[in-house]
Amino acid sequence: MLLHIGPELFNGLVLGAFYAFVAIGLSLIMNLTGTINMAHGSFMTLAGYLAFTLISHGTTFWFALLVAPLLTVIVGVVVERTLIRPLYKREPFYSLLLTFGLSLVAEEVFQLIWGANGVPLSPPPSLAGTVQLGFMAFPSFRLFITGALVVAIVGLALFLTRTRFGLRLRAAVQDTEMIAALGTNTQLLYMVNFGLGIFLAGIAGVLAAGMLGLNPTSGNALLMPAFVTVIIGGMGSLFGSIAGGLLIGFAISLTTFFIPAASEVSMYVLMAIVLMIRPRGLFGEEGIFG
Amino acid sequence: MKKDRVALYAALVIGIFLAIVPSILPLIHLDISIVSEVLVFALAGMSVNLLLGYTGLPAFGNAAFFGLGSYGAALSITYWHVHFIEAVLIGTLSGFLGGLVLGPFLLRRRGIYFGLLAIAFGQVFYFIAYRFTSVTGGEDGMNLSRPYVGLPGAHVTLHESSFYYVLLGIYLVVVALFAVLTSSPFGRTLVAIRQNELRVRYLGLNTDRFIFVALLVSSTIAGLGGAMFSLLINFAYPLILDWHQSGDFVLIMILGGAGTIWGPLVGATIFVIGKDIISTITPLWQIFLGGLFIACVLGFPKGILGSFAALRKRGTIGDDQDAATAEAHAPFFPGAT
Repeated sequence: MLLHIGPELFNGLVLGAFYAFVAIGLSLIMNLTGTINMAHGSFMTLAGYLAFTLISHGTTFWFALLVAPLLTVIVGVVVERTLIRPLYKREPFYSLLLTFGLSLVAEEVFQLIWGANGVPLSPPPSLAGTVQLGFMAFPSFRLFITGALVVAIVGLALFLTRTRFGLRLRAAVQDTEMIAALGTNTQLLYMVNFGLGIFLAGIAGVLAAGMLGLNPTSGNALLMPAFVTVIIGGMGSLFGSIAGGLLIGFAISLTTFFIPAASEVSMYVLMAIVLMIRPRGLFGEEGIFG
Repeated sequence: MKKDRVALYAALVIGIFLAIVPSILPLIHLDISIVSEVLVFALAGMSVNLLLGYTGLPAFGNAAFFGLGSYGAALSITYWHVHFIEAVLIGTLSGFLGGLVLGPFLLRRRGIYFGLLAIAFGQVFYFIAYRFTSVTGGEDGMNLSRPYVGLPGAHVTLHESSFYYVLLGIYLVVVALFAVLTSSPFGRTLVAIRQNELRVRYLGLNTDRFIFVALLVSSTIAGLGGAMFSLLINFAYPLILDWHQSGDFVLIMILGGAGTIWGPLVGATIFVIGKDIISTITPLWQIFLGGLFIACVLGFPKGILGSFAALRKRGTIGDDQDAATAEAHAPFFPGAT
């Protein structure tokens, strides 16, 4: 029993790390500007496809893992400056609608460029095997993903708490007007913050493409669990996103093991329970990074 | 009172137009089922309108109620062999029950978080329909044959054109009730909640209760729309419950004009007929749809009727009667202009 459930739990951990990572990117953008980025999944897919194109042109996986997210950030920043920026003064609902429309357009554009069927993005040969850990074998690529996501999350936390820019970002979440009055260029802040969120989406997109496959809607499939993660973990809490992501990851992997038919519904049930006990989510403290 | 008479005339003109539309259709090469679809989506848009347009809650989960209505009708026809009227009633009731179940959860948050919760909880029903293959047919959906209308002493089969008139009758009754509801003190309170919920609370009103009732009315209308939809296309499928469908409903409402009585009809007309025409020309409908979202948000967030009302309002400043009505035509969020 334990032998079978072990790999399932490990899968839950990897999935949970993904959800947490995507959720952090989402809530970075959501907290500062109130923008619910429905196109977040599209940016993930875009990064995956860019990595695929780079690799099929002869670059290494590692190069693609770094460059594809950066290219995606450029696209993201252009979108933010041209389409989303005019909406900052308006209700957040408008940016939700706009990014939703954007994701519809993106899906079809991906289909036009890369075809409706999935394309393969294989992990590098050095990570293709498995690692024996005595009682069970872990696929090395999944281990690597978990490690990479942990490093990225720690890096982000350090950036937000230890740099002047991170400090300004966190201050702006609390009181944008005050930060502007103190001489910070808030538009620059918005832009960099959005770019940062998209960069996280890009990394997740490339890694997810290697693990879960790549097709025009593959990023969107991760979007809904990420939303639920944000709701469960609590808005504005970095730690909450991590906890929420892992909770969902384990919930999904356990229900996949015991009741496969309920695997998708389980996270919503979890969300309902958390909301009944804590309406703000587990670590929700409106607008503050944990 | 002059305003009321104008509204009544407008309703009369629209009603008569909708009644004679079937005889115009052959001239523009459209099928009558397309117009029926317009009415169904107008009902769905109306359900979003009450929550979003009037109350200011981002109702991004109404496809769940619509889909519940659709499956409520389809399942009762398939397994209980009910007649037409019962199927419509069961579908409508399913939508209502969906609102009753989700309400306590959705009420916990406001603003954009309400939208997130609505999306997320709505997805539950999608996955249930998708996964319970043995009952719902899963991804393939459920085919059904349109049931008889069981009248005393006779069974009447509804063909496309008689179905349209039944649907039109239902639609006009719902519009009339909707107009009465939104101009009642209850409807005014919803608008007040949209503008400033805190103040409404300070006046001693339990806003949670108002929003819950609005949600129930909205989910009931959506359920009715969904039931009529599966009876129209003789089919129910999981994607009708998906949040992308909710997005379409929101677009229909915004396109026509948030917080207006006829806005959803205008939006649904453009949406359904536009989709029909564009789909025959190119498979890239989704790019147009997404572009429509973007254009709507950036270009005319008040929608077609909303922009029209704003233009007229500019001409009649100082008319109190008008100002009061114009409130309902205002953009659906405070500070949105």
